[in-house]
Amino acid sequence: MSFLIAQSVDEVLAALAAGARPIAGGTDLVVGARHGKAALPEALVAIDRLSELKAITETSHGVIIGALVTHHDIESHPLLTTVYAGLADGSALVGSPSTRHLGTLGGNIMNGSPAMDTGAALQVLGAEVELRSTAGSRRVPIASLWARPGQTTAAADELCIAIHIPKPEGSSGSAYLRLEYRRAMEIAVVGAGASVTLGDDGAVAALSVALTAVAPIILGLTDLQSVLGLGIADAAAAVQQLASAQATPISDVRASDRYRRHTVGVMARRAVEAAARRASGEVISTPVNRSIGIGAAS
Amino acid sequence: MTVTNHTTPPRFVRADGPDKVTGSGRYTADLTLTGALAAKFKYADVTHARITKLDVTTAQAMPGVFAVLTQADVPDVKFGPFVQDRTLFANDVVRYEGEVIAAVAAVDAATAQRAVDAIVVEYDALPVVNDIEAALSPDSPLVHADWADYGSTLIRDRNDASFASIAKGDVDAGMAAADHVVRSRYVADGCHAAPIEPRAVVAQWEGNKVTIWTSTQVPFDARAGVCETLELPNNRVRIIVPHLGGGFGGKCGFHYEAHIAALARAAKRPVRLVFSRREEFLAPDRRREGIVYDFETGVKSDGTIVARRAWLALDNGAYTADAGFFSQLAAMHALGPYRIPNALVEAHLVYTNHQPSGSVRAPTAPQTCWALESHTDEVARAVGMDPVAFRKLNAVDTGAEGPSGQTYGEIGIQQCIDAAAAGAGYGQELPDDEAIGVAIGWWPSFSVPSGAYVKIDGDGSGQIITGAQECGTGAVMTLRQLVADELGMDAENFELVYQDTSVAPYDMGATGSQTLFNNGRAVIAAAGQIAEQLRNLAAEHLEASPADIVLADGVASVAGSPDRGVPIAELAGIAAGGELLIGHGSGTPPGAPPIVGAVCVGDLGMAAWVAPQFSCHAVRVKLDRDTGVARILHVSAAHDSGTIINPVGATGQVEGAVLMGIGQALTEGTTYDADGRQRNAAMLEYKLQTCADAPPIDVHFIQINTPDAGPRGAKGLAEAPNVATAAAISNAIAQIVGTPIRQLPMTAERVWEALAGQHVVNETVAV
Repeated sequence: MSFLIAQSVDEVLAALAAGARPIAGGTDLVVGARHGKAALPEALVAIDRLSELKAITETSHGVIIGALVTHHDIESHPLLTTVYAGLADGSALVGSPSTRHLGTLGGNIMNGSPAMDTGAALQVLGAEVELRSTAGSRRVPIASLWARPGQTTAAADELCIAIHIPKPEGSSGSAYLRLEYRRAMEIAVVGAGASVTLGDDGAVAALSVALTAVAPIILGLTDLQSVLGLGIADAAAAVQQLASAQATPISDVRASDRYRRHTVGVMARRAVEAAARRASGEVISTPVNRSIGIGAAS
Repeated sequence: MTVTNHTTPPRFVRADGPDKVTGSGRYTADLTLTGALAAKFKYADVTHARITKLDVTTAQAMPGVFAVLTQADVPDVKFGPFVQDRTLFANDVVRYEGEVIAAVAAVDAATAQRAVDAIVVEYDALPVVNDIEAALSPDSPLVHADWADYGSTLIRDRNDASFASIAKGDVDAGMAAADHVVRSRYVADGCHAAPIEPRAVVAQWEGNKVTIWTSTQVPFDARAGVCETLELPNNRVRIIVPHLGGGFGGKCGFHYEAHIAALARAAKRPVRLVFSRREEFLAPDRRREGIVYDFETGVKSDGTIVARRAWLALDNGAYTADAGFFSQLAAMHALGPYRIPNALVEAHLVYTNHQPSGSVRAPTAPQTCWALESHTDEVARAVGMDPVAFRKLNAVDTGAEGPSGQTYGEIGIQQCIDAAAAGAGYGQELPDDEAIGVAIGWWPSFSVPSGAYVKIDGDGSGQIITGAQECGTGAVMTLRQLVADELGMDAENFELVYQDTSVAPYDMGATGSQTLFNNGRAVIAAAGQIAEQLRNLAAEHLEASPADIVLADGVASVAGSPDRGVPIAELAGIAAGGELLIGHGSGTPPGAPPIVGAVCVGDLGMAAWVAPQFSCHAVRVKLDRDTGVARILHVSAAHDSGTIINPVGATGQVEGAVLMGIGQALTEGTTYDADGRQRNAAMLEYKLQTCADAPPIDVHFIQINTPDAGPRGAKGLAEAPNVATAAAISNAIAQIVGTPIRQLPMTAERVWEALAGQHVVNETVAV
């Protein structure tokens, strides 16, 4: 087994081209190996020291989040916890404090789990993923990154460099909620992210919803045109119906398909409601799971 | 009697605390011995099958493999504390997935695992017994075809490994006289102790003696198991327990110490076993038993309980570990701390092809209290009574006769109900998605032999050499205070020497909430001998009568003349040149109280309890009606565990047990596939509660200086606070949902199903 501590992105790309796999926080790779999910790759290239991948950069178009930005960075960042609050809602729920200090956003999306807590928010925020190999760079919409559980459309020699999120327009807000059985060391039973833009009349002018852990990949909700122009409560209720209808959950030891189908609708409704409240200017602290509803301190 | 709310307890530093907090403490898995080999087990992986071929020759021949053992390599001994129904390694038939077939010792863990994988086992499948109730049917396949030949004193019949009943009065007449009869059925899933440290064992032979370092709660029991199965005398087996990373009952009993000792002997090298988390879930014969309950209670219109009938089937699993007495213990919890004139409870401990059950913190109690107390709220509802008032009316009290015919001395259950309800703000106006549920529980103190030595050396520093075992409760740590108080010295003067069977006298171990109760008695007796020596020395030194010598603040002085004194350290120096300061103690365990008017079939002494402990928990719950997710907002826990000697430790016990109870209530339950394999044998899928889930917990102690109890009237406390939490949560959820959740754990999905009207409706019969 080989373990290369990379000093530059070029060094990483060369190692990937030679067949190595990247490791950053190791919160999926190492834990998975210990649990017998998959053995550690024969050749690893450690990317965790590449400071150029750790930046959060605000631009005139939006924000660029380096692949090595940790969940803790996100959950404590002034811009990401406000303008891009849905993402911070997700990062703040990941694992434990130590997981959030080690685990990176790039790792989370490249791991490709349909239960990832950042995926739905990134998708509704219209994020793109910047991938790079020795052959060059490309940007792909995040919805087309995921192929199936644990599998992305990135080539084996491509490294995730950054996540680009466009600046939300108008009166916009986002939120992510998950169904959880406990409040730390948890994985989403189901989850939903929503991005809402309100018109001047207070009705829903634009809307995007994505669902977590109810399909082989993060599931973007379709047929949302009928919801546009509705008031918030009606829109949220309509989204609940659409989410339950479009979800294709499985039954496993965590929940039955029936229960998942029902609760993902509830999460989607609440995500739309929270996103709309943020769009209207209300401050709901991240994560939404802890600040409103059943997770709130009563 | 005083009621104390220890929300800001006084400072008490555990002697083992700094080691554990700073990471300098050493646990069994941390031990390294020169030349040590790694052990791995070959498990059955199937749940019921006859072994047709077992071939270890390839494994034995692999480079780096020093020993491969099967049952053919160890004495042909059947063992078990209540039923001698098993052998160290599988013999002919395997009966659960985690049964050990063979053990390998090799240079490292990877080599050992490769050798395990090279062991060839072939099976003929046998029918799997996967359902507790079906196992009692006359046409059920047998888990043990030879059950009748096993040694045992229990009442057994085929898959029924232990039948027990408690009968009092005339239950038919009682039911006939009732105004209402309420029947209900509850099912509790099994669950796990889940200590954070998976178990580890290291064994090393020197000549014909073996030293075994092991993560056990019960070193003397572990020694007894090694001696029985390897046919060795007690004095050639030494058990040492390094720091223990939690137990919660899961490390009671004798487990793999003999396997590793046998491997070390065969390999002629030290051998070390360290379990993975998955092994910890699947293999040991210690998990909390699933139980099926049918209750029937007859009640008068004024709310007086007149009769109780109950039928219980407990999942014994594949072998009878220490669960033999669980049927009678569960029967007592099915009666509960109530005045019931006419009662009949029948309980069966049933073999299945599941992992064997065994003592997990308050065995049988949390789930039986959950079922009984949920049923009790249904009974109260049937007569239109408030649940707290109903309990106040029917609960036992000082001088009252309990449901098994035991009459109680001074007890504090009524005060517990008042304190818990008041602490929760019971009766206040709440939002319609919130409710406060209340439940009462009880638990015995265990009166057993126990021993300790105390010595004080020439410099005035002391050592307590005790057989007691520390599993995290802090009970052993409190022994220093008892000895110091007896000798008028500071607890910091004493170091503990413990967890070594060749150094200290017998103690039952960190089990049965018994450490302070029994070993407290022992160390006080031992310290008392030294106190007498010191008084004699001081009397001589001060020219006074020994009877007038007072030991206080590190000084021996003459009563009434505080200026006539000599430091105890100085007396210790004098003693070092003459008769040494050595005390030994055991004391006489309090005897069992009598029971009157009850008949117990399968009696194992569980129908009458020494120094019984009582509790009431009141829990405020908020329910998300859309998802069934329950959130615990506040717990008010009131306990009569007699005198509280160490308030910090006692409060910690209650808080930890309450959090464990919340897990059992909501998220912790083992699920099985159709073949009886565990589906959630991992920390991600078996959901313990975390600190982030912990609600505010108010602890109230009703302190009664209980006669025939432990030191200063103390009872036990390690298990009692784990009894009533899940029950109280159930009663809160039932108020919000409108019906009880009839299966434990009350998972969000099960609550949601009940909200959707898919629950089984109980039957209330108006007579």
